[in-house]
Amino acid sequence: MEQQPELSADVPRAWDRPIVSVPILTFLSLVGGQLPSFSPQANLYTIGTGGALVWLGLSNRMPRRTVPQRLGSGAVWWVLPVMIFGVFEAGTFMLGSRDDFPTFSKIADPLLDDSLIRSAVYFAWLSAFWGLVRR
Amino acid sequence: MKLLAIGGFTTALLLFVVVEWAARREGSRIPTFGDVCAYVMQYEVGPVPVGRIALFGFWWWMGWHFFAR
Repeated sequence: MEQQPELSADVPRAWDRPIVSVPILTFLSLVGGQLPSFSPQANLYTIGTGGALVWLGLSNRMPRRTVPQRLGSGAVWWVLPVMIFGVFEAGTFMLGSRDDFPTFSKIADPLLDDSLIRSAVYFAWLSAFWGLVRR
Repeated sequence: MKLLAIGGFTTALLLFVVVEWAARREGSRIPTFGDVCAYVMQYEVGPVPVGRIALFGFWWWMGWHFFAR
């Protein structure tokens, strides 16, 4: 039996337009933003939403955008922010993520206690995840 | 020292925004971050989509790390 080739499309389908995906992601983010850290609900919800997106992304059910065949030399610019972030994350982590030299997540934790900020960051996480699934 | 850490992370995040902005200009030779991710994600070892699994796994872990743990 012939295998179904990977789907690739630049034209969004009706259900794949922002008018459909944004409200769904917003709803999921608002729910996720209400769940406190370290709670079983937050664990289940994050693992569940992420797991569903991983499943969608690894199955060939979703149409994908065109992949660039090669990256130009300009791609090297991306090394700069990645390296700066990596150096600070590694440095703060290796020094024990102290209060006076915290890791990124330790800085973010107090901000994420606010449910509105938490929902907004949840939205960014899910949107980026959805973008990866479509790639 | 705390200000140094905050300053370092803020600089890195601002640079992400600046490079993405530069990449989206017409005729730019810099690929967008999405294109870089897509390029990495097409890496396969035999039939195993190693690039996709790695990026999905990393991003899944990021969400769990910030929202659940």
